[in-house]
Amino acid sequence: MSSATTKIAVHSLADLKNTTDDALPNYLHSLKFRQLHTKTDIRLLLGYSAVLIAGVLFYFDWKFGWSVTKPYTLPAVVAYFLLNGCFTVWVFWVEKGLVYEGENGQGEKISIRSHTNKHDPTYHLIVTITPSPPSTSQKSTTLNISSPFTKWFTADGYFTAKPFQQFLASSVPLIGAADPNNDVEEIGRGSGQNQQGGGIQGFNVSGNNALEILEQLKRAGANVTVGGQPVGGGQAGRRRK
Amino acid sequence: MLSLGGMQPRQLATQLLNFALVLSTAFMLWKGLSVVTDSPSPIVVVLSGSMEPAFQRGDLLFLWNRGMDTKIGEIVVYNVKGKDIPIVHRVVRRFGGGDSPLRLLTKGDNNMADDTELYARGQSYLNRAEDVIGSVVGFIPYVGYVTILLSEYPWLKQAMLGIMGLMVVLQRE
Repeated sequence: MSSATTKIAVHSLADLKNTTDDALPNYLHSLKFRQLHTKTDIRLLLGYSAVLIAGVLFYFDWKFGWSVTKPYTLPAVVAYFLLNGCFTVWVFWVEKGLVYEGENGQGEKISIRSHTNKHDPTYHLIVTITPSPPSTSQKSTTLNISSPFTKWFTADGYFTAKPFQQFLASSVPLIGAADPNNDVEEIGRGSGQNQQGGGIQGFNVSGNNALEILEQLKRAGANVTVGGQPVGGGQAGRRRK
Repeated sequence: MLSLGGMQPRQLATQLLNFALVLSTAFMLWKGLSVVTDSPSPIVVVLSGSMEPAFQRGDLLFLWNRGMDTKIGEIVVYNVKGKDIPIVHRVVRRFGGGDSPLRLLTKGDNNMADDTELYARGQSYLNRAEDVIGSVVGFIPYVGYVTILLSEYPWLKQAMLGIMGLMVVLQRE
């Protein structure tokens, strides 16, 4: 869909979330998951039947006037608000931000709900996996995973699929099993949450572990030139104190 | 913002539904108020200055149509058969009532004569049950002026509806 090619405003949380939500079904579809639309269809059914009642009442009111439609107005209003209430309950208490529900070839079900918190560019997912057949011994498991959007959005607002797929495959076993190539170990890049202040600054820089720091830098792919004074441990250590 | 073309059918249906629900909820709230007040038009806007100084053009009036024994001095809103515009005037005389149907004569506070000339041809009084759509029970000054603008410049209406529709369909906040 559009997500791979459209540029979004990286500071709009809604854009970040919607684009990512849209990318989810595409990825799972490529892993031979079959999307189940039941919940969306029930939402549409509830909503459109309410709208239909309002539409019919509007038409007859416009065509024949109040004196004719008066006896039907109260039942129509009651029915409309009942359906509208069911719709609201369905959206907020049943779907609860559902973006994907599907099953794989073995009949294992996965449902994914997403949400973001205000002014915090972190993508939160609640993943529920139900084994097949749903027996009493093997209950469904629920995972709470999250990751900053910076992991799969470039600075200028393009979605990149690979890191997003890696995030999903490595944190959800069912997806990881379907896509072992993307099941990679967390290297901590971009996630500022588990390491306060980012990778390198977390180390206590001193003359003794300078070599270790350089090794870390190399592993993180940083472009470091060794030689002369720049990375000299003693100086850096003094500055920190 | 996103483009409509790139949407899945269900996504498009969901977005359209959001728009339809906004419109239909407004309409059904209005109809619900109609049922409660027993009036086909429970909120009206004063269109003329004939009731000054009580009401100015643009005042928003709330109607109640369940007290059928209308007294002299009450302000009623009535529709004349064959004319679309509701008129807000004060009851100055009443005939009948009880067993015979209640009939009313109205006059605008700011008018020289009573309303017999405004009524339909051959009609010299209002029938309370048929012509009157409610008595005024409350008002908010001036806020209805927007609707006067909208009815005097009809293109404003279309523009507003169009902008509302586009916003609801296009945004997914």
